[in-house]
Amino acid sequence: MEELLHLKGIVKKFPGVVANDNVDFTLRKGEIHALLGENGAGKTTLMNIVYGLYKPDAGEIYVEGKRVEIRSPRDAIKLGIGMVHQNFKLIPSHTVMENIILGLKDVGFVINRKKVGEEIRKLSEQYGWRIDPYVYVWQLSAGEKQQVELLKILYRKAKILILDEPTSVLTPQECRNLFHALRKMAEEGIGIIFITHKLEEALSISDRITVMRKGKIVATKNAWETSIEELTNYMIGRPVLFKLDKNKTDSSEDFILIRNLKAYGDTGALALKNVNLTIRKNEILGIIGVTGNGQQELAEVLAGLRKAIDGQVLIDGMNILNYSPLKLIELGVAYIPPEPIKYGIAPNLTIRDNLFLKAYRYKPYSSRIFINLREVEKKAEEIIRRFNVVCPNTSIKARSLSGGNIQRLILARELSELINGWKPRFIIAAYPTKGLDISAAEFVNRTLIDYSKTGSSILYITEDIEEAMMVCDRIAVMYDGRIMGVFKPGEVSIEKIGLMMAGAETLTTS
Amino acid sequence: MVIKLSSRFFKQYTVKIEKRLEYSRKFAILTTITSILIAFGVAGIALSILGVDVVVAYTQVLTVFTKLPLLIEAIKYAIPIGLAALGLNIAFRMNFWNIGAEGQIYMGMFASTGIVLLHVYYGLIPEYLVLITMIVASFIAGGAWCTLPAILKAKMKVNEILTTLMMNYVAIYFIDFLIYGPWRDPKGYGFPLSVPFPSYAKLTILFGDSVYLGSILLLTMAMVVFLILKYSKLGFELRVIGESLETARYAGINFVKAITLGGFISGGIAGLGGLAIVSGIIGRLRPRASAGYGYTAIIVTLLSALNPWLIIPTSIFFGGLFVAGNMLQATLNIPGATIDMLQALIFLFLLFGELIKRYKLRIVVRGVSVEH
Ligand SMILES: Nc1ncnc2c1ncn2[C@@H]1O[C@H](COP(=O)(O)OP(=O)(O)OP(=O)(O)O)[C@@H](O)[C@H]1O
Ligand SMILES: [Mg+2]
Repeated sequence: MEELLHLKGIVKKFPGVVANDNVDFTLRKGEIHALLGENGAGKTTLMNIVYGLYKPDAGEIYVEGKRVEIRSPRDAIKLGIGMVHQNFKLIPSHTVMENIILGLKDVGFVINRKKVGEEIRKLSEQYGWRIDPYVYVWQLSAGEKQQVELLKILYRKAKILILDEPTSVLTPQECRNLFHALRKMAEEGIGIIFITHKLEEALSISDRITVMRKGKIVATKNAWETSIEELTNYMIGRPVLFKLDKNKTDSSEDFILIRNLKAYGDTGALALKNVNLTIRKNEILGIIGVTGNGQQELAEVLAGLRKAIDGQVLIDGMNILNYSPLKLIELGVAYIPPEPIKYGIAPNLTIRDNLFLKAYRYKPYSSRIFINLREVEKKAEEIIRRFNVVCPNTSIKARSLSGGNIQRLILARELSELINGWKPRFIIAAYPTKGLDISAAEFVNRTLIDYSKTGSSILYITEDIEEAMMVCDRIAVMYDGRIMGVFKPGEVSIEKIGLMMAGAETLTTS
Repeated sequence: MVIKLSSRFFKQYTVKIEKRLEYSRKFAILTTITSILIAFGVAGIALSILGVDVVVAYTQVLTVFTKLPLLIEAIKYAIPIGLAALGLNIAFRMNFWNIGAEGQIYMGMFASTGIVLLHVYYGLIPEYLVLITMIVASFIAGGAWCTLPAILKAKMKVNEILTTLMMNYVAIYFIDFLIYGPWRDPKGYGFPLSVPFPSYAKLTILFGDSVYLGSILLLTMAMVVFLILKYSKLGFELRVIGESLETARYAGINFVKAITLGGFISGGIAGLGGLAIVSGIIGRLRPRASAGYGYTAIIVTLLSALNPWLIIPTSIFFGGLFVAGNMLQATLNIPGATIDMLQALIFLFLLFGELIKRYKLRIVVRGVSVEH
């Protein structure tokens, strides 16, 4: 079979780590090739090299048999390589078409707007999508934004497509749409590299699977010849438990009451239209739904980062609506935000500073004026080890961590009881396992369940219905700024949940 | 960004600018040094066009740093520049683009002179407390001058570049008004000068020469800034704020308080620069007493990569340029503006160097690409 891309002996070192250690990798025409590996294994780095974002320290790259130097994304694009990053890079205040044209102008296409619009529409229909070229990007859901990113690449007739964790923000339905489209692209001869942490996904969509570990390639397998067990073994060298032990007593004591909550979103439209929820003590309440139906705004209001215009939030009988973030921190509210880069971490500060973003102001980490650096350093080392954040030391910038390790850093800060040893009473966890590899995801879910056993109330926002079923005690479906219903896992059929997520049905029990 | 050179000869060339994702420290330092050398080169060309013997002129500039008396003179100028730069260091850390060190310096001069006048005219404040009161007063005056834009920014998002810059002019004209009016020395034959400062109001009070006490002041402030930024809670907060206001909010940082306090300290240290001018260099107040040291300080701070210890040698370098300027003016009849030009060139090329650090230029010749 024809080789589209061949990497030979790629080496990339960063201070203190070898991110890619003599990597060989091939991508064939018309194949979907999944790339697996633990957080920090070097997947993103390898793909950034192919896309011209990093220069390898050693190694050769061949595209369609020809040796090439890829010095910048522009070179990559010229060679027919396209990449969808984990954080979308579209401009929200521009229309879909403007975004796509922007990408073209860069490479020196001549533009006929009308023709482009028509072609975008056609291209999108070809893959079963309904993208209107004239709507603004901010009006789109996460799944649709991703489709625009893909259109941008497909429009310039790319032959090699790289997707870095494309499914981590998609609902199951959106995932199915994506897979369907990817299959079609593969049939047309495009080669696709697909990074993911979900093994079932890799097995079901791809032709071949490559596993990376600590910068090296451990194995490349045909998908039909391997299994989840074998892959996990390659990835972490031991099997992982996929069953979580929830085993706890039901709680009936209402702890957090959310009543008639209303709040505006960033665009000035009402994002929370009327939210009513109860979270009990010792309970994990899941919120599922398509991204952009008010989940983020709900989390922000509860964390004090967005003003609500009406309603009540009672913690243990006390109305905390529109309290300052600091007051909420001191009341024991922990917040794992949905977009870590936006405000979960300060990327240019050290890992240590990021860990102490909230706790720096308390004893023993500081006195009235000064920070007690020795105490901070000691504690930072300890937490880093406990939460398994992979890094050479705690004084490097947080931005140099891999995607999954950034998430671990945030979890470490929010859940490690840095502040006076306080246990968080209320944990707002927005997509807490996003970007985590299986063992880290398991660790996080286990930690959250343990907290719920010892008295914390947890709001668990996710797109992954299966995960919600596994972790949560009750699940609420959110649609268009409202709660469509609350149920216990197993009480409601998947079909019905799907209808609720689409706003077609409500539930009045529970 | 793509620049197309579309003349007939350049038809097949395009210059492309691309973002550089990584660069080494060595590369950064080399770029900075090269920028400075190029600035001297270009200034040299300009000088030779003016008919100046560049070799002679630049040899004189060099002597400033090799002859001890001249070096001491350079350090005297470095003190106000360095103090202002240390103040700016704090502001820049929190992403507060304080262009107002010049105005804060003038407010420092205002407060220092004010204290001297209170003492001389009204007999207030005992002799042995005059200098210390001047130090405190100039810090407060400079600080207050910077606090206003800081509050405006923190509370109402008013752009600090505009407010701090405008307040420079207000401060300069305010001093003009005082010195041509109520503060003019009645025995000064009508010159726009204040009374000369008594010896105990000058930095010469200890060790004879103002360079010593001034240096102590400068080093102490470098230490203070270093401690604040590295070890204090405020420094931590300023770092987070400088990184992102969103993150600061998320962390529960009271950023209005932190920015206000940071602004006060920033302006206060620059205010000490004003004190260093009137009671270290001139010994009285006169109009336009700062030759743009507050603006030079901006270059110094950026050149020192926001490191308070690097600010000291860097400001000595720029202090030396001022001394050299005065010397060239006297010996070679070169216009005083030459040094301004040299500074501006250094600044310009540094900015250009900064661009080179972040972006790479590529010339593409009919599809073949040549990297620079
Ligand atoms: N710019 C950088 N500077 C320093 N170190 C880096 C940089 N980028 C990546 N690294 C390090 O290289 C290693 C590989 O990172 P990479 O982002 O490729 O991992 P990954 O396999 O994509 O992990 P994840 O699943 O968490 O996204 C990590 O240890 C990371 O800390
Ligand atoms: Mg990654």
